[in-house]
Amino acid sequence: MADSYSRDSEPTTRTLLRRVLDTADPRTPRRPRSARTDVQRALLQTPSSRRLRSQTKTTARRCSNRARSVDRLARVQASGHLEEQTPRTLLKNILLTAPESSILMPESVVKPVLAPQVVQASRRESSRGSLELQLPELEPPTTLAPGLLALGRRKQRLRLSVFQQGVDLGLPPSQEPHGNADASSLTSSLNLTFATPLQTQSVKRPGLARRPPTRRAVDVGTFLQDLRDTSLALAPPDTVLEDTQPFSQPLVGRSPSVHHSLPCCSHSGAKDVERAASRRTWSSGLGLQNNGAGKAAQLLAGNVEEVDALAMGFPNISSNISGEDGVEPLQNGVGEEAEERMEESLREVEKAAEAQGSARAEELEGHIEVTEAEGSWGAVEAKEPEGSSGDGDTSGRTASPELASSTPEFLRARRLQFLEPAPPPSTAVLPSEPPEPLSARLPPKPRIPGSRPRQDPYKTGLNHYAKLFSFYAKMPMEKKAVEMVEKCLDKYFQHLCDDLEVFAAHAGRKTVRPEDLELLMRRQGLVSEQVSLHVLVERHLPLEYRQQLVPCAFSGNTVFPAQ
Amino acid sequence: MALSTTVSQKKLIKRKAPRGFLKRVFKQRKPHLRLETTSDLLVHLNCLLFVHRLAEEARTNACENKCGVIKKEHVLAAAKVRSEFLFFITVALKHHLVRHLCLV
Repeated sequence: MADSYSRDSEPTTRTLLRRVLDTADPRTPRRPRSARTDVQRALLQTPSSRRLRSQTKTTARRCSNRARSVDRLARVQASGHLEEQTPRTLLKNILLTAPESSILMPESVVKPVLAPQVVQASRRESSRGSLELQLPELEPPTTLAPGLLALGRRKQRLRLSVFQQGVDLGLPPSQEPHGNADASSLTSSLNLTFATPLQTQSVKRPGLARRPPTRRAVDVGTFLQDLRDTSLALAPPDTVLEDTQPFSQPLVGRSPSVHHSLPCCSHSGAKDVERAASRRTWSSGLGLQNNGAGKAAQLLAGNVEEVDALAMGFPNISSNISGEDGVEPLQNGVGEEAEERMEESLREVEKAAEAQGSARAEELEGHIEVTEAEGSWGAVEAKEPEGSSGDGDTSGRTASPELASSTPEFLRARRLQFLEPAPPPSTAVLPSEPPEPLSARLPPKPRIPGSRPRQDPYKTGLNHYAKLFSFYAKMPMEKKAVEMVEKCLDKYFQHLCDDLEVFAAHAGRKTVRPEDLELLMRRQGLVSEQVSLHVLVERHLPLEYRQQLVPCAFSGNTVFPAQ
Repeated sequence: MALSTTVSQKKLIKRKAPRGFLKRVFKQRKPHLRLETTSDLLVHLNCLLFVHRLAEEARTNACENKCGVIKKEHVLAAAKVRSEFLFFITVALKHHLVRHLCLV
């Protein structure tokens, strides 16, 4: 027992545990073991003391051998008591197994870290100095061990490498990995079990331990050559790009600031499209097409302003988009905007086509339709049929000679590219949609506000009254008669509005009121002294309207509508 | 609103007034004027009566020609007969406006 309190000697975890086990209240099964533990302790302590003094591995090995023999003895003895799986027995087993590793490692660990370990050992002793060994006390070390095992493993490996380096160089290993060993030597001893196999292997086979990486010195000459090769590889594409920009010069003259930057990126986009149809290239492709369309517009010299506006709009969009990667909603919005503008320009182009020659207008139409197809394709998948139909239109309409006349080569190549992928998606989706949907989709943005809405809703409204006409006629009618009725209704509405305007102006108002309507009907002869307006309302209008028009007395001395 | 009238017709007719359509038409023709909501219904009433009279006239014309089907020329003739007083209003309005006001 006196040996247990010799703190000046090496305070390893094993010794600490020994002390703890001994100082703790021995249970009944403990007693018969105490003698054996003392023997083991004595045996182990001597090797540890010898270990500290001699700092060689050979002595460590000898000690380890001795410890191993002792351990085997201890294990044999302990195995007899395996039925009692108390924490004590577990710890004892740990201690028994530990010496194999602790003998080797602590040579490096213990010597330089003596001071901090003393402190920690004292702390541990104080914590474990409690008389009773209880599970909660024992749990921390066991729980700490697996938690810190991983860290310790790395640290141990570091330490191992450092140690080996130190051994090689004859320098003491660094203290910092040991300084942060909060779990102190217990975990270190525990971890050592994992570390030692490596070391033993390395020691046994020095050739495999620290195989130097097969590095060869950097050949500066070859490196420079590689650099030159890469630079050469990069250069040709630029030259090729510059070569394949036949139209860049006229564009430069047009608007150097904006368009000059575009052809380069657009050509890169052209190349990219050839390889992989990525979304970003669509925007650049749009810009590219726009340039082509702009050039074609120059030929027309009729819609230069509009196409310029279109071109200016696109570069801004494409420049904004090219910086971003795969921003789908933005591109969808751009695609929609592109489509709208395409439609605008298309309609304007159609107008110009009527005024000027048809060939060039068709070309521009083809350009813009292709671009429209591109824009629709790139933006939304659902618009593929239209895109494909648009492509079909362009292919059907714009014959090759027209294309060859004024379109640049790359534009043609692009159109071919688009036509190639266009059929597959069209076949994949549904090519059943004829150009009608394309034309139907043009209306959303009419040139003149009111030109298009005047058609469809106006027709439906007239249809409503035409049906009423057929109902009142009580006879079958021809289709042409119905159209005739619609024309009459159109004229009738014109006159009606004029009359109402006059009546309202006569009354000094700008709002048409029911009094004006009554006057109109009186002048028409519908309302007379015998037939009043209310009678007509009652006859021909549904009840709900009558309630709103004809004042009626309600309960509570109220009249609705109020007069 | 009664969506349809099943009188003796096989077709179903809407009785609802296309108020939005009427308002839009008026706005397109006379953007500087406004149309009230109740006058909107009266406009619809006026249209109904006009169509009714036109149909009657067209049917009469077709019956006179002993056709079972109303044809284009019947409608045209009916329009010419009935449109006269429409034009009459606008043309003679400024001259007879004062006199006609007393009828109101």
